[in-house]
Amino acid sequence: MAPLFMKILLVEDEAALRTALAGSLRQNGYVVDEAAGFAQAHEKIELYKYDCVLLDLTLPDGSGLDLLRALKAEGSAAGVLIITARDALDDKIAGLDLGADDYLIKPFHLSELNARVRAIIRRRQFNGQQQITFRDLLVLPELAEVHVRGELLVLTKKEYDLLLYLLANPGRVLTKEAIAEHLCGDAVDAADSFDFIYTHLKNLRKKLQEKGVENYIRTMYGVGYKLSHE
Amino acid sequence: MNLLTATTRYYLLLALFLFVGGSLGLYHGINWALRTEVGEQLADRRRELLAKAQANELPSVSQLAILLDISRTPRPLGFRDTVLLDRTENEMVPHRQLTFPLVVRGEGPVWVSLRKSLVETEDLLGVVLAVMVAVLALLLAGMVGLNRWLSARLWAPFRHTLAALRGYNLQQHQPLALPAPAVAEFAELNQALNGFSQRLVADYQSLREFTANAAHETQTPLAIMQAQLEQLLQVPALAEDPAAAPLVADLYRGTLRLSRLHQALSLLSKIENRQFAEAQPVRLDELLTERMAQLEPLFDARELRYGLDIAQAPVVVLMHPGLADSLLQNLLQNAVRHNVRGGALMATLTRHELKVSNTGPATPGDPARFFERFRKHNAASDSPGLGLSIVQQICAHYGFGLSYKLTEHGTRHTLRVTLPAAVGTAAPAVLSASD
Repeated sequence: MAPLFMKILLVEDEAALRTALAGSLRQNGYVVDEAAGFAQAHEKIELYKYDCVLLDLTLPDGSGLDLLRALKAEGSAAGVLIITARDALDDKIAGLDLGADDYLIKPFHLSELNARVRAIIRRRQFNGQQQITFRDLLVLPELAEVHVRGELLVLTKKEYDLLLYLLANPGRVLTKEAIAEHLCGDAVDAADSFDFIYTHLKNLRKKLQEKGVENYIRTMYGVGYKLSHE
Repeated sequence: MNLLTATTRYYLLLALFLFVGGSLGLYHGINWALRTEVGEQLADRRRELLAKAQANELPSVSQLAILLDISRTPRPLGFRDTVLLDRTENEMVPHRQLTFPLVVRGEGPVWVSLRKSLVETEDLLGVVLAVMVAVLALLLAGMVGLNRWLSARLWAPFRHTLAALRGYNLQQHQPLALPAPAVAEFAELNQALNGFSQRLVADYQSLREFTANAAHETQTPLAIMQAQLEQLLQVPALAEDPAAAPLVADLYRGTLRLSRLHQALSLLSKIENRQFAEAQPVRLDELLTERMAQLEPLFDARELRYGLDIAQAPVVVLMHPGLADSLLQNLLQNAVRHNVRGGALMATLTRHELKVSNTGPATPGDPARFFERFRKHNAASDSPGLGLSIVQQICAHYGFGLSYKLTEHGTRHTLRVTLPAAVGTAAPAVLSASD
């Protein structure tokens, strides 16, 4: 679960996409405010304090970059995740220069969005000092350590990344494609990479099993995997 | 053979026929006229002699025989051609001869042969023929000379048009601006070509705009589809029905493929439209190391032996960072996709070239066609087959060389990108040369 009462402002002009993103974020336990355009978003950042702002750069009534400038001018502590179209690579670079924390290129996996938001909030709010707990697991991100009931679990880099990704989306079905892109970069063709996801998952499961925790990772046949609460 | 040579050839052929025919006609005509003239002269003398015989003014036969060729035995009568020895020139000379009977009073009939030399006639004919041949030769030389002059002068506008057409590139988005030369045909041609290129540029422009707009408008619905399908996968009811989830997952996968295809196509059209203007120094060695590291799990999963050899560092290339990334990713992915399980992959980078080679089954077909869009070795492959097209477009955009080679008995495929020789300060010149 996401840290309690984390407030997110979602700025996206496409209603259907906004609904889907907001739905996914709410399922992960965030409090989500929605803004459909520049003016609305600008009003909201003046009035309220957010932990994270998801910012679509192309808005009908203004530029997302201007919104980012306004946020930074106010000295807002909110993390900013830029959502951008692929053909606006240069906007992305400008956004990062203006102090955005991260960017996502449309179209993206919702599970990837969750992972990025979670990482931003962790970095911003807790200086990375936050612990992640899930059932019998305890993860210390700043040390890149995983403990199972107090015992250290030794994982490879990829297994650790995979576990963190699952932990960022507890209870969600993660598609194989989303996992592949998360681990291997977004240009990787998913079909090429199912083998290695399978291998890493198998190893991760085995290591968890050796520590006595079973059935954390469920296979959703034909779809992907899920970190299960029960 | 150019047009002028071709037409001149026919002119000359016609002239040759006419000259041969004319010469023959002239020869026979003059020959006939001269012989008739000689015959008339001989007939005149006969008349004269016969008249004298009638008037009994002829001397005796013995006296006549000094002047004329006289025989007392009958000879064949009428005109004949004969050859006599010319004593002064000591050669046989053709003569015309007229034989007739003559009755000299008191001495009975004798046969007289009058002769006249034809040697002047032949000389005349010789002169006529010589003149004709000389004129023919002059005509030929004249034609060739005229041809050269004409092709240099008259056809100059045509050549200019041709050069303009050869150098024409639709990608520059400029219509042809050909001048209107004095020759009507060329002026018409240029006018037609100008109109043609204007239509072409306008059509191309609207096509590009359409593609760009279509790409932009497709993007959002695709993003919505992908997000909503992913949300649909989370619906608890789906987990209870084992048949439903894979259906949604298939839909989701299809959407992903579509959006990948869309990304690749819009990248291609952006490169073609030169929308990646600003180049900046890119550390190709660092980028390559990073990309290789990122793909490591993929290599491991395929049990590939892989190696990275950076001979000199840093390797700095002036290009758009996004395109540099795309170039490397597509090259590496191509090397993975067409590899065999347990095969090898090697990336080599020097200041002059980037080489990515991989093992893999020999591929049928022309290597030049590997760079074509939607070209797949395996029709069932998930990939749309645009990777190498993107590589090729990026190389063409920056003026990099790109070649493909198959070695080691057709089992090792190597793609080689030749980087511009000068990096750093000289690089802007390379860029402008590629524009």
